[in-house]
Amino acid sequence: MSPPKPECGPPIRALAEVLENHREGGSNHRLTLAIEGWPGAEPGQFLMISAGAVTAVDRTDPLLPRPMAIYRGHARVGSGPARIEVLYKASGRGTRLLAEALPGQRVRVVGPLGRSFPPPTASTRAFLVGGGTGIASLFELAARAVAEGAATRVLLGARTAADLMGVGDFGRLGVELDLATEDGSVGIHGRVTDALRPRLEQPSDRHTIVYACGPTPMMRACSELAAQSGARCIVSLENNMACGFGVCLGCAVPVVGGGFSLVCRAGPIYEAGDVAWQGLP
Amino acid sequence: MTASIDTRVDFAGIPLRTPVLTASGTFGYGTEFAPFLDLREIGGFVAKSLTLLPRSGNPPPRIAETPSGMLNAISIENIGVEAFLAEKLPALPADVVVIASCFGTDPSDYAKLAARLSESSRIAGIEINASCPHVKSGGIEFGQDPILLADLVRRVRDASAKPLIVKLSPNVTRIGEMAEICQSAGADGLTLINAVQAMEVDVETRRPVLWNVLGGLSGPAIRPIALRMVWQAARAVDIPICGVGGIATAEDAVKFLLCGATAIQVGTINYINPQAAAEIAQGMVEYASRKGFARLADLIGALILPER
Repeated sequence: MSPPKPECGPPIRALAEVLENHREGGSNHRLTLAIEGWPGAEPGQFLMISAGAVTAVDRTDPLLPRPMAIYRGHARVGSGPARIEVLYKASGRGTRLLAEALPGQRVRVVGPLGRSFPPPTASTRAFLVGGGTGIASLFELAARAVAEGAATRVLLGARTAADLMGVGDFGRLGVELDLATEDGSVGIHGRVTDALRPRLEQPSDRHTIVYACGPTPMMRACSELAAQSGARCIVSLENNMACGFGVCLGCAVPVVGGGFSLVCRAGPIYEAGDVAWQGLP
Repeated sequence: MTASIDTRVDFAGIPLRTPVLTASGTFGYGTEFAPFLDLREIGGFVAKSLTLLPRSGNPPPRIAETPSGMLNAISIENIGVEAFLAEKLPALPADVVVIASCFGTDPSDYAKLAARLSESSRIAGIEINASCPHVKSGGIEFGQDPILLADLVRRVRDASAKPLIVKLSPNVTRIGEMAEICQSAGADGLTLINAVQAMEVDVETRRPVLWNVLGGLSGPAIRPIALRMVWQAARAVDIPICGVGGIATAEDAVKFLLCGATAIQVGTINYINPQAAAEIAQGMVEYASRKGFARLADLIGALILPER
């Protein structure tokens, strides 16, 4: 693996103020943070966020921060703090505590971390495929693709309509939007890969790029569909992490050719063909 | 820093500007912390354990969170001693104390590593990782077996004139005995404790949470165990001890000095707060100032025991 290159300013550690933190249907939540000194981020980068708000006594349980994709970063107004949104599912102990954080409380953050998506160009035919909270990695990429003039289609999938996140945000970007739900409550009845398949029926070239983020089986299926069609596929992987900056070595994933790659530093963005999918847990 | 407090200590012949070091495996090769921390604000760091050749670690899952702690089974993934000397060491500021950690599956591996590392004037000392709790063929056997341990320390002692520190496993019955063995075999100092061998299970999947099944428990959960073992080892030997295990605050660090440690290492908390080591160093000065100690060294062994 080549050494990681800094994508923007170096990461910072900060106390971020919770501006909003509300449920978006199902167990999905949207957290909006104000972060002083934020160096800016590129599409696909992530943050480590403490498992819950800072309390009067420093908490050691849950101990570890959680890696979360930067969903949307708003341009700074003057010298004020940056406004950063993340989407998360309140499913485990840490995220359920985070869901209790109230506006005005503070959380600890470290970021931005990881490498960003290779940027689309005007000649790119971009398919952005998001499953569940994986949708969160794709919003800034979609905005970039639209700004570059790429033909951009966003495909979002979830179990039910209530579990789908960010549909309105993506819609306002003016991209083509395909929805899929496993219960058929909105969009096509099935998985998001069922929505992708007909889009890739014609042979593609390397200007067609499938960007995928979601559950491992979904990304693997996207990788296979893209490969069959001749398209390029780029995925954003998730993994357990203690640090997010290349030290705990906990987020290793197997790569083609042997050995492991750290999702936090070499990733989270990978060419799908570089990932040894059968070795992922 | 409060100017009136003398923060310097001498650990195993290594002069440190503060007793706060960072633990092997939790601080990478040092450069990873450059965005967060001026390495000169801490006493130094112990680099990720090195092997003679580059080594790839375990398949995932490698880590899991547990109450006030975490499990890991990485298996000494590292770039190898030659890449460390050629690429990592020159990238560090010249006045940062760097202690190299050695790992092998045979005493001759450790001796070769120590000899090679001792050629560099940038290496302040050698720490023997005799206690890695998740590699079947190395680590734990040395740290748990008095005869293997004595032989290992002697072999490394013969190979290097650098300050020699042995990092002990907590997975033993009598830590004082292991400490004495290291002292007799020529160690200049001890580091304890390494991670505590542990296990966790996911009941939904009915699987162990780690690919390796067993892992090393670290973090605040193990701090009272570490403190007890430092206390016992300090009473057993004359060589200095570096305390490590779950230190998250300056108060935690002070406890280890009071129990007889000369220096401490910050470990797992580096992941959560990459500025923790510097904050702990500063907090220890504030503690000494508040308690009327002129030197941090005066805290070493200053525990007040109940009268019997």
